[in-house]
Amino acid sequence: MHRVIVVHGEISTDDIIPGKYKHMHADVAKLADHVFENRFPGLAGELRPGDVIWCDELFGIGSSREQAATSLKAAGVECVLAPDFGRIFYRNAWNVGLPAVRCSPPPGLRDRTSMQIHWDSGRLETGGEELTFASPAPRLMEIRQAGGLLPWLKGREWPPEGRSIQFTAEAWNVRPN
Amino acid sequence: MLVQDVIDRRLISGTNEPGATVAVTVDRIYLQDGNSPTIARLFREHGFSKVFDPERIGVFFDHSVIWPNAEIAGRIREAMVFCETLGVQVFRPGEGISHVVAMEQGWFEPGSIVLGTDSHTCTGGARQALALGMGASDAVAAMITGETWLRVPETVRLEVVGRPSPAAGAKDVMLHVLAAFGQEPFLYRSVEWCGEWPESLTDDAAATVANMAVEMGAKCAFLPPHGSLAGQLRPIPAGGGEGVIHYRIDVTDLPPYLAKPHSPTNSHPLDASAGEAVNYVFVGSCTNSRLEDIAETARVLEGRQVHPTVHMLVTPGSRAVFLEAMSLGYIETLTRAGAIVTPPGCGSCLGTQGSIPASGDRVLSTMNRNFLGRMGNAGADIFLSSPLVAAHAALTGEIPHHSDLN
Repeated sequence: MHRVIVVHGEISTDDIIPGKYKHMHADVAKLADHVFENRFPGLAGELRPGDVIWCDELFGIGSSREQAATSLKAAGVECVLAPDFGRIFYRNAWNVGLPAVRCSPPPGLRDRTSMQIHWDSGRLETGGEELTFASPAPRLMEIRQAGGLLPWLKGREWPPEGRSIQFTAEAWNVRPN
Repeated sequence: MLVQDVIDRRLISGTNEPGATVAVTVDRIYLQDGNSPTIARLFREHGFSKVFDPERIGVFFDHSVIWPNAEIAGRIREAMVFCETLGVQVFRPGEGISHVVAMEQGWFEPGSIVLGTDSHTCTGGARQALALGMGASDAVAAMITGETWLRVPETVRLEVVGRPSPAAGAKDVMLHVLAAFGQEPFLYRSVEWCGEWPESLTDDAAATVANMAVEMGAKCAFLPPHGSLAGQLRPIPAGGGEGVIHYRIDVTDLPPYLAKPHSPTNSHPLDASAGEAVNYVFVGSCTNSRLEDIAETARVLEGRQVHPTVHMLVTPGSRAVFLEAMSLGYIETLTRAGAIVTPPGCGSCLGTQGSIPASGDRVLSTMNRNFLGRMGNAGADIFLSSPLVAAHAALTGEIPHHSDLN
């Protein structure tokens, strides 16, 4: 069970973590105190481990800084939901172990309500409503569990047993369709 | 939808439908000198030492060909050592821009997936490769595994009919599309160009169109059969279809276009800016540095002189383009006219090597984006155009009228 923090409007990566903190990235825990500092003052102090953020517009538009995702994760956020994401934020979020799910909030969704996510079936329940989302590839769920893309990869034999990489397609016209 | 056809053949896990995430195999990966130091650091920090296939990984030294300072020189030396330890393919400084050379070398096989650590990797869409720009962590993982994950994009089909005015080409149509649509219709989507106009493009012009997919906000683009490899490319039907968003534009008699500072979407017909002064002209970048672009510039400058107030640079996109331009006499023509021809690479596009514009300079460039500070000095104003418009401006020190170009 998660607690939902509802945020409104388009959110840039600068809104998530102001650019002036980007050189402090060595210590992500310190960044956590500054998330949403300008956009939603005081919110950082209220975040608890396990919270999910649900935005009603485009989330994570703007710069490619990976800290936008790592700082949210450090603040305890376990998942971000929005109707749409900035492309690079979306990749960064999954790659650092913070799932980003495309899903519009139901009308009238109350702030601080509770929510349950069923990853396998692509369903979520909140306030007596059930919504669906495109369930992430198994690979992404593995990355999430490992805490990020590079930790997932570390110490892993590659290619995995039973699979070799084959390049069969050379061009459209020599491939069976 | 071509993007889903490509993914189908590379699918490891997930459902191949728009909005879903999938894991796929990757055919080729290339890095550039700007981010290879970060990638080298990530390899070190995580204790990685082996890549899935060194033959399918390339590192291009293009952003800083003439190393401008000791700091950059040091980082490039480190990156070169890193390449050597991994045994990957190295494209040395002077060989050209990654996207241009990758196309020449056949790295964008139709129907393949190519990752590049540069946003203009989408250029590969001219050859119907699913070519995607990605960040450092993504590149590291793909280099080791030969795989990556993607969100399957929706498809937008952009049908273009009609023939632009003789002075307007691929760059002008692109700037017109950016002005008319903005990014919203294309954000995160796969753009399939179709209709008589894209089918009539040369190889070089199609590369220009695919290159600027990222300026449209798109994830990737696909061009229809055109030019020398038409037989290897799949037809793209005009019109919509289930799950396809369709737009149609008519470019009959379209005038040349020009983007004003500080965004490529801030584009207008050329005559709106005609007569305004420029004192720096750059012909080059992954958008417009191929043989046709150099040829067009040389044709305008033939037997004439660059205006005394104009600093003019021409940077061929690759060694092959440079050599071909040399044997056809273009390099001599440009040099006699007073242009500076620089070694193949990204040239002045992004401030990582000379020439940096002066504060107050008004630059007309053939590159793809003119964000504030793009060329290394936020004090310069940057305009974007085709090589034809840029070459005329170099002669007079003014943005030309459409009628001057005929």
